Amino acid sequence: MYESIKQIVTTAEKKKQPICQLIIDAEVADSGVSRDAVWNKMKRNLDTMRQAVKKGETGAGVHSPTGLTGGEAIKVKKYREQHKSLSGDTMMGAVQAALATNEVNAALGVICATPTAGSAGTMPGVIAALEDRLHLSEEQLVNFLFTAGGFGLVIANHANIAGATGGCQAEVGSASAMAAAAAVEAAGGTPQQSAEALSIAISNLLGLVCDPIAGLVEVPCVKRNAIGTANALVAADLALAGCTSLIPADECIQAMDKVGRNLPSSLRETGMGGLAGTPTGQRIRAKIFGKDVK
Amino acid sequence: MSSIYRSVFDIIGPIMVGPSSSHTAGAVAIGRAARVIFQDVPTKVTVHYYESFAKTHRGHGTDFAIAAGIMGFAPDDKRVPKAPQLAKAAGIDIRYVEEEGPSPIHHPNTAILEMENGSHHTTVGGCSVGGGAIEIRSVKAQNVELTPTGPLPMVLYLDRDKNLHQIQALKEQLMGGSQLKERKKKATTGDLYEFDTLKNLSPEKIAELEKKYKGIVFLK
Repeated sequence: MYESIKQIVTTAEKKKQPICQLIIDAEVADSGVSRDAVWNKMKRNLDTMRQAVKKGETGAGVHSPTGLTGGEAIKVKKYREQHKSLSGDTMMGAVQAALATNEVNAALGVICATPTAGSAGTMPGVIAALEDRLHLSEEQLVNFLFTAGGFGLVIANHANIAGATGGCQAEVGSASAMAAAAAVEAAGGTPQQSAEALSIAISNLLGLVCDPIAGLVEVPCVKRNAIGTANALVAADLALAGCTSLIPADECIQAMDKVGRNLPSSLRETGMGGLAGTPTGQRIRAKIFGKDVK
Repeated sequence: MSSIYRSVFDIIGPIMVGPSSSHTAGAVAIGRAARVIFQDVPTKVTVHYYESFAKTHRGHGTDFAIAAGIMGFAPDDKRVPKAPQLAKAAGIDIRYVEEEGPSPIHHPNTAILEMENGSHHTTVGGCSVGGGAIEIRSVKAQNVELTPTGPLPMVLYLDRDKNLHQIQALKEQLMGGSQLKERKKKATTGDLYEFDTLKNLSPEKIAELEKKYKGIVFLK
């Protein structure tokens, strides 16, 4: 696989090949598995993502065992049907898919981690927007996932993708950056524009803390995915418009790593600081787990 | 670069039952790895949690995830949330302990599993590094303790005969032209080896080696 974002961009430029192709080739070479098997595995991931979105948007919505999350994707769906939203229907459709996915996740439903379960809604949100605006085929969507995964591997190996080590920036931030870079390619942008989108997306969520109420992947995780999706789409559009990041992509990833290391443990998935540490957050924790919980 | 993540499917995937890739899917993977290393059905398992795992295991379903792994379930198996009851019915007694202080294997998402049945006792220390990926950072089997390199895929082998000739042949088989990292711990009961193959081995190769080297463990 690739060592840096720069290496991905220069290889794609030199070979005049789309990034998705490079990533598929690398996966086939590294895994020793056939191209068909690699492709089918990614297609199964896409199918799972779509099923989760569908599940979260039907009926009364899905609710977590604690009752803290559920039913908000449905609210957005109804709002879109009855009102003219401020940020436009593509954006709110993406937000709806993101919320739906994380509501299914919080309800112990089946999802595809992209890169994590807590950030599983960001990518499906962007997919919903790409389908709406660009009418991408299934093949193009599978390619989108390979590109996103290739960029994500560099982030994971140079920074990290766990809230417990890097905060939410490592989860929703990484998901948003991967999705932004892959969305640029899907929309016909250059490899360098993908790297710019990744940089912008990371920069905009840098420092985001992981502060789940009662330590549960529910609040604020579900709505953070709405922002991860929106941020990805804005970053991709900025890059496609020709805007650039002053700081190169690989340095943005390094910055994210350092910020993550400097976050106190209370803001890294311990359910102690941030929103989890508020009087209301603590009250909910005590109600769910009893007062003896530290 | 540490290159913990080696496949695009470490990033896009796994397909899993929620709610957390590190605290649920990763915990399933730690349980599965521990069961594979134990090579038998344990009757008693004590799970020691550290740091983030100790603080949030209840909310993240880590308990049912570890139990599911010990039962050998995949992370997307619908039975995952019901695993503790299923394990109990299968005669496996699982206890969970929230440990104070830092993880002895230096990661906030740490679970150390002590497994035993009448005949043997094995301890496996795993950490969930994010997105469902895990590392195995400590293994104690037959009173031999080893600190593996961590990332999977990983091959473990206890050489009871202390036959260096045989080990050399195994290493050549595992390498297949690529790199191989090795760790070794000598003991009276046998020499315990860990090999980091960097790439996954084909199922055919694994089957062949399993026949030749009794008790060899492949983690992926």
